[in-house]
Amino acid sequence: MTGSREPSQRIELKIPSQLLYLGVPDAILMELAGDLPCDQKDIDEISTSVIEACTNAMEHGNGMDENRQVEIHFDIAPDRIAITVLDHGSGFDFENWTPPEDLLRERGRGITIMREFSDTLHFDFADDGRFRVRLRKQLQRQE
Amino acid sequence: MKIKERIRDGVVILELSGKLMGGPDAATFNDTLKTLLHEDHRNILVDLSRINWVNSTGLGILISGYSTVKKGGGDLKLLNVSDRIESIFMVSKLHTVFVSFSDEEEAVRSFA
Repeated sequence: MTGSREPSQRIELKIPSQLLYLGVPDAILMELAGDLPCDQKDIDEISTSVIEACTNAMEHGNGMDENRQVEIHFDIAPDRIAITVLDHGSGFDFENWTPPEDLLRERGRGITIMREFSDTLHFDFADDGRFRVRLRKQLQRQE
Repeated sequence: MKIKERIRDGVVILELSGKLMGGPDAATFNDTLKTLLHEDHRNILVDLSRINWVNSTGLGILISGYSTVKKGGGDLKLLNVSDRIESIFMVSKLHTVFVSFSDEEEAVRSFA
């Protein structure tokens, strides 16, 4: 994005790799949503994306080892939300990933959901070696 | 996730509540469906009005349940799918798999 940008505030969160904590990032975004001048649909979509990123981080990255934490950074501005999710896994071949076609498959929809509900989605490794997912969504202003 | 069960005009209505996200939820839901099929209940309506959110693993649970009921000669339909969950169905194309209703009476009649 170019042009003037409104300043963002950062929230950092660490959660154990247990599914019951998946609701925590969702609760943070829902709490903030009330104060952001945007459509609830935008918040629902970015929150759904974050839940997917954290699910993957717990299951595939940290192998559901509850002693390994998933770290989440929320960078919140009135016009955008950027989120980073970090895990201790070895990542996956995201450059060659293609969505499976079988509609009745039970797995393999997380990346599609993240991609559809975010404006940008990047996978890479942080400087400290952790696998990193970065999501970003521009918020549609609701007066 | 919790499951509350009731019957209306021969249709079993499963009211799910909480978060549909995998883990023990998969076995809980699947065991419930297998028990119902064993008891010869083949018309299943899953009410999602009290589900806060679903992740992709939770979608897998619904699909597994759908396949289980279909293989058992029955049908599984959905009731009260929120806008948030409906949008997940749309992007994952599952709206083409699940039949869903917003009116319980209409949903129950559809099994006749």
